[in-house]
Amino acid sequence: MNSLNDEPKVAAITVVLLEDDAPTLWRLQDALTKAGYQVRAAGTLAEARACLAQGAPRVLLTDLQLPDGHGVDLIRETRQRYPDTEIMVISILGDEESVISAITVGATGYLLKDAFPTDIAATVRDLVAGHSPISASIARFIVRRTQNTPEPPPGPALNTTKLTPREIDILWGIAKGFSYAEIASHLGLSRQTVPGHIKNIYRKLEVHTRGEAVFEAVQQGLIKL
Amino acid sequence: MNDHGDDAQPDLPGSERRRLRTSRLIQYLLLQAMIVAACALALLQSLPGPPSQYQLSAFQLTEAGVERAVTLPYFSSLRNAMNDPPRFEGHFVRPAGEATQPWSVFLPRFTNGVEVTVNGVVILDSRRDPAANRPDRNTPAIAVIPASVLHDGDNAISVRLFIWGPITGFLDRVWVGPDELLRPSYDLRTLVFVTLPVVFSSWQAILAVILGIMWVMRRHEPAYGVLAVAMAVGVGQAFLQTPMGGETLFSKLNVILISSAPIESALVLTFALLFSGWKWQRYAWILFLPGVLLALAGAFGNQALVRALFLVLAIPMVGLSLVIMAIVTARSVLKRPNVAGLLLGCAITIMLTCWIADLLSVFQMTPNRIFVSRLSYSVMLVAIGAGLTWRFARALNQVDGFAGRLVTQVREAEEKLKASFAREEERARAAALARERTRLMRDLHDGLGGQLVSIVALSERGNGGAGIGDAARAALKDLRLVIDSMDDIGGDLMLALGSWRERAMAQLRPHDIALDWRAGTAQGLPVHPELRPWHVIQIVRLLDEAVTNAVKHAGARRVTVRIETLAGSDGLHRGCITVEDDGKGFEIAPDGAAAGAAKAARGLRNMRSRATRCGAELELSSCAQGTRVRLTLPHRFPDSDAAAG
Repeated sequence: MNSLNDEPKVAAITVVLLEDDAPTLWRLQDALTKAGYQVRAAGTLAEARACLAQGAPRVLLTDLQLPDGHGVDLIRETRQRYPDTEIMVISILGDEESVISAITVGATGYLLKDAFPTDIAATVRDLVAGHSPISASIARFIVRRTQNTPEPPPGPALNTTKLTPREIDILWGIAKGFSYAEIASHLGLSRQTVPGHIKNIYRKLEVHTRGEAVFEAVQQGLIKL
Repeated sequence: MNDHGDDAQPDLPGSERRRLRTSRLIQYLLLQAMIVAACALALLQSLPGPPSQYQLSAFQLTEAGVERAVTLPYFSSLRNAMNDPPRFEGHFVRPAGEATQPWSVFLPRFTNGVEVTVNGVVILDSRRDPAANRPDRNTPAIAVIPASVLHDGDNAISVRLFIWGPITGFLDRVWVGPDELLRPSYDLRTLVFVTLPVVFSSWQAILAVILGIMWVMRRHEPAYGVLAVAMAVGVGQAFLQTPMGGETLFSKLNVILISSAPIESALVLTFALLFSGWKWQRYAWILFLPGVLLALAGAFGNQALVRALFLVLAIPMVGLSLVIMAIVTARSVLKRPNVAGLLLGCAITIMLTCWIADLLSVFQMTPNRIFVSRLSYSVMLVAIGAGLTWRFARALNQVDGFAGRLVTQVREAEEKLKASFAREEERARAAALARERTRLMRDLHDGLGGQLVSIVALSERGNGGAGIGDAARAALKDLRLVIDSMDDIGGDLMLALGSWRERAMAQLRPHDIALDWRAGTAQGLPVHPELRPWHVIQIVRLLDEAVTNAVKHAGARRVTVRIETLAGSDGLHRGCITVEDDGKGFEIAPDGAAAGAAKAARGLRNMRSRATRCGAELELSSCAQGTRVRLTLPHRFPDSDAAAG
């Protein structure tokens, strides 16, 4: 995660926060509120839908395993209803199982539940600024899916056919722990363009339409035509 | 049937191919001309006879009631003289004093039969010897004159020549003298003209069996079957004897078999045609017409008719067959040079030469009457045997080569299969590990992970729970490490270090310690296909230990991680990871353990043990300006954790 060192300017940034574990919810809410965000907290999908009904938030932070359903559904709904809302999934391990499935329905980032309060605020701030965070293990998972293997590795389905060679190079760099500056210099890019590439990668991994979902299912061998 | 293996160069331009064929034709014709010349030379040589002093050539001939003086050898113009055969009257002198040794009459060649009378006593009638009755065989005759018949001085000899066709009568010179002087010449002729043909006929019988078996096993090559029948007919012809009378069923069959030469030649011709790649046509039955006619004549006519027909049907048929075979074989050899065809071609040339010589002899254009056609047929038999053996050996070689190739290919395929099996096993193992990892991750995410996060959150809310929070955070960090190290990174340690960097940054950030990450190149470290998850865990925990030391004991402001690939003195590339801090350092005892706090000492011991397990070299140096941990990775990671002991 690359934090920016700007002073926080978070006036009127609304965040809907959905987390069913109460201590974690308080912790995240505390961290965000102290950073100046306007937080609407929810413990269930129903509560979150009620919060969203009040108007589009700037950011949606959501857990996936919820008592009354799965966070993926909420992400998909929000993505369709409020295209401008940035969506981030709250993950315990930063693992592909939760993060990638959220990315395919429209999330553009993830947040570790045990992150330090300052990191929590910085991650949300970066996201609003257009910088999607991506971890080495997520990048590794994606690039491995771009390699042709007889059977897809286990885990959530992912269609990587739209990624360009340059984007795949960037993902390799992140997977190997290089910073954006190092990746930019290795690939002959400007350092500022790397976060934009990462956001593009997230967008390309999103399954937008029913047709694409079918295409992807065929690619993954789930459907035989 | 065809030797496709040694086909002529097919991709030559037309003119080149024509030139090549012309030169081959010239070579072939030259070879055949040499064979003809050699045959002619050999045929002109007459067999050595007994001493000429015992030769009788002046005779008084009574033929068809006319008496006149003749000199042997004598060609009679008669074709049939059984009741009134020509009678040759002569005289010879036995010197006095030779009565102790027996004397003989030796007739080297006659057609068809002779009766010899000495001093009025019949001492020899060749008609009783069936082999001698075959005009195509040059059977000699010898008879010892009983001592009581012979007397010193002048003796009378009379030879009656029986002629029964199909050719005219002939009587070669006659020798009368001591038996021991005449016998070697007789024996030589018997060997050449009687024994040798029997040997060849036996060989022909063997060939008939071999070819018959060959045809039974290879029904799609009828040429062998045809040749087998030809050989069988030839054997029957050689071993059955001319009947001298009687018209029984057996004797008719006998006649048919003996006059089977045109059938045999038609069969051999068919073989030669099929052998050269010709397809059987219905009109080719015409080849068998002379033979069938002759057989019918034998079955329904009498022997005289058969003999008369034999002359006009069989002999031209044999010659015609030979000419066609010579042309067909020559064409086949020119098209595709092969040893079997060449041998056959040469044998045919020899036979043709001999056939012409015999024809000349029949028409009395040679001074003698020795028939060599039948004898020369043995050359053909030898050629067929040699050709067959050559083809068989060649086929065996091909089978050997094929088998050898097959063995090699099977071995290659086996190795490929083994390799692919190993790959498949490896892939299955990796897939199983990945599935297990996914399951474990889900379980930890839903259970232990969430509980640890709750502990972190709760410890932050209540004051004084910082120790619990740190422990929970450390547990989460270790959990991520364990899960991460189970992932298949394809031997690229950099992929594991990428995740470690994130965790280390998260760990250092609250302490305001900067992490300076210096990876020399885009690749960073060599790829190790043998790298296993447990290697990764050891290395990452070792690096964690170094960073934790910097945080807890050294009071560092900056941690530098340097990743390089070094070329060793042995030319092998080794990865090298260095963790440096700018803390206050500590003293290191001579045994490498930290002299200071017991906890730090334990940490260092752990690091050494982890490095040893992975076959890596650990270098520690510490001074007041900071601590440096330098880990040099092995060229090849050990397979087992044996070093853990």
